[in-house]
Amino acid sequence: MLLAVLVAAVGWLALRASGEAAPAAAAPAPPSAQGPQVFGQVDSQPAQPSAAERAGRRQQMIEHVQLTDHTYCSYLEGSKYPAGSRPMAQNPDQAYPNRPVTEMTPMRTGDRTSDPNILLQTSQSRVFMAANESVAFSLRAVTPDGSLVPLVVTRAVAAGIMTTGARPTTQVALAFADDGGGADPVAGDGAYAAVLTPAQTGLAGFHGTIRTEVRYTAGGKNGSLIFDVVYSPKLPAVWAGPPREVVEDGSLAFVLRADVRTPGRYVVTGRIDDARGRPFALATFNEVLGPGPNDIRLLVFGKLMHDGAPALPLTLRDVDGYLLKENTDPDRELMPRLEGPVLKSRTQSLNGISDDEAGGEERARYLAEFAKDRKLARDSLAAFDPAQPLPPSECGTPSR
Amino acid sequence: MKNALQLAMALCLMAASSLAAAANYTLWINGRTGGGAIGNYNSFTYWGPGTTAAGVNKKSVNWDGRSSIASQSGKIRDALDCFCTGGNWCYIATHSAGDLILGYTLANYGGSARVKKNATANASGVCGDTDGTSQTGWNIKWVRAASGAGGGSELSDVGSWAVSEALVKDLKTTTARAMYNHNTTRNVWFYMYAGAKGTAYSGILPGQDDEAVAYHSTGGVAGAAGGSYCNPSDWLCNDLTLGTAANEGGSAKWSYHSVSFRDDAEAYNHYANGNWGGIVGVVRSAMVNSAL
Repeated sequence: MLLAVLVAAVGWLALRASGEAAPAAAAPAPPSAQGPQVFGQVDSQPAQPSAAERAGRRQQMIEHVQLTDHTYCSYLEGSKYPAGSRPMAQNPDQAYPNRPVTEMTPMRTGDRTSDPNILLQTSQSRVFMAANESVAFSLRAVTPDGSLVPLVVTRAVAAGIMTTGARPTTQVALAFADDGGGADPVAGDGAYAAVLTPAQTGLAGFHGTIRTEVRYTAGGKNGSLIFDVVYSPKLPAVWAGPPREVVEDGSLAFVLRADVRTPGRYVVTGRIDDARGRPFALATFNEVLGPGPNDIRLLVFGKLMHDGAPALPLTLRDVDGYLLKENTDPDRELMPRLEGPVLKSRTQSLNGISDDEAGGEERARYLAEFAKDRKLARDSLAAFDPAQPLPPSECGTPSR
Repeated sequence: MKNALQLAMALCLMAASSLAAAANYTLWINGRTGGGAIGNYNSFTYWGPGTTAAGVNKKSVNWDGRSSIASQSGKIRDALDCFCTGGNWCYIATHSAGDLILGYTLANYGGSARVKKNATANASGVCGDTDGTSQTGWNIKWVRAASGAGGGSELSDVGSWAVSEALVKDLKTTTARAMYNHNTTRNVWFYMYAGAKGTAYSGILPGQDDEAVAYHSTGGVAGAAGGSYCNPSDWLCNDLTLGTAANEGGSAKWSYHSVSFRDDAEAYNHYANGNWGGIVGVVRSAMVNSAL
């Protein structure tokens, strides 16, 4: 619209200028002493690209068509489900959040050195810990072929990591044992385990990263390793009342009532298994909550249920959540963890479950922009090389 | 005549300002150590000469590169608000911990309401509002991650870096991986560029590495912990595959993470060296060609 106004204004000015008195003409130049020119001056022409340059440019344009097409088509496909309700297949590492984190690394013997002939198998049962939770650590040394290497833990101390200049926290000694008790399932198997429950130590009020440094000897050498957990001693909200389900707006929602003590942005995640116990979906709630009672809806999107055709009924399990604090560290206060099954749905069919794709302003905005990019790329290539067909689209040939 | 010229100039300025509001920008998000002036989107000290081509309307999103991810995330959100809202769209390049801070920001705030901004920043890197309306999330076309440390680095696991830097604890592999859901990118692609010219820390970094970050991180391999991934020429180690395919041995990559470059020739290390060098140079070339 503004461009049209500009063009009209320029046109009006041009018409006005044509009616104005012409400026005084410059005095004519004296005739050339060399006689009349027969041939007109030839303008210099830009150098034509070589065949190789043209082929290279064409290849770049093809790649751009493919990139814009992939961007559009993958967004179209991926955004048919909302961000808060996704197939578990798209979240390969989120299915079992409460399983121990295990690692196997060469024994570290110095800042840059390690012994590849001794491998340390370690595990920790938590990385982020809510108030009153415990974490179990374990370590074992083996050779690359799996043979046990006798190990002795010489020192294990947990302390909060403080910023430079802050007063150090209490140090808590941990007793690693291979006696079949506590966190150690099997006595004498060469795996040493210890449990840290910050709430029962001088770290009870500490909020942040607790580092446990373990020094040990194995294979006649000294080694060390660290376990970090991020502890949150204060509960920003607690669960209140039994979970329930509702079919609304064409989707199945598991509804958890929370009593929010500290208002703010809450990020809550739950796992949904099908009737055969197979992980089916990941549901995430991410909204700002005010104080007091709030419903947290973990959605299984209707179209996801139609497309995935899971064996019904579905079960919500393993829910964790936190208050996200902006621009500060530590950045979260954890809610109580709901470990294991939380609610088995009573929904046994897809009655009332919609097959419609997700909508919304964000999706419309992205699809419009990506479609524009794709069209521009295709039009540019077509203009550059009209004789050649355009690359096929991942999601159907768009109109030119 | 004078009034006509003034009218024409005013109309031109109005047209120019409305056209300038719809632009593509290329954001560059630094990694550990920082270096650029925070809040100054034209300060490319971390990367190299600011005159070097690096994508359309390039902007340097500077954060301090040593404080924690959470405490610095606001700098990223300010930049995204400035250049990636309203009619403006962004291509994004990250280096090292820039991958971690962008991933954290998208996963936690990518669906939040953002007030549309006018791409004109004050000294703190905060832009003014356009019309006061908001939108859901930002406008991001795709991301190219040079030596992405979204999966952390074992150099943090062993204390190779100073514990006095809060960022170092965030880069511990188990912490970085648990910090947020790396699959939650709002359907925005992360194209991963993995360098392999690392030697000094090969005893600490598993598989191939670029001297600071190993392939499990730079290649976007999903999981609660790292692992050992290599080039096809390394027979005794599972391959990091190109694209989105599962790696040799069956491990998956995070969703919307695709390996665009794997350093089979072991030619690129981690360091920009103040001249767009190392693996950063590979991403820069890609941005020049595709961030249009």
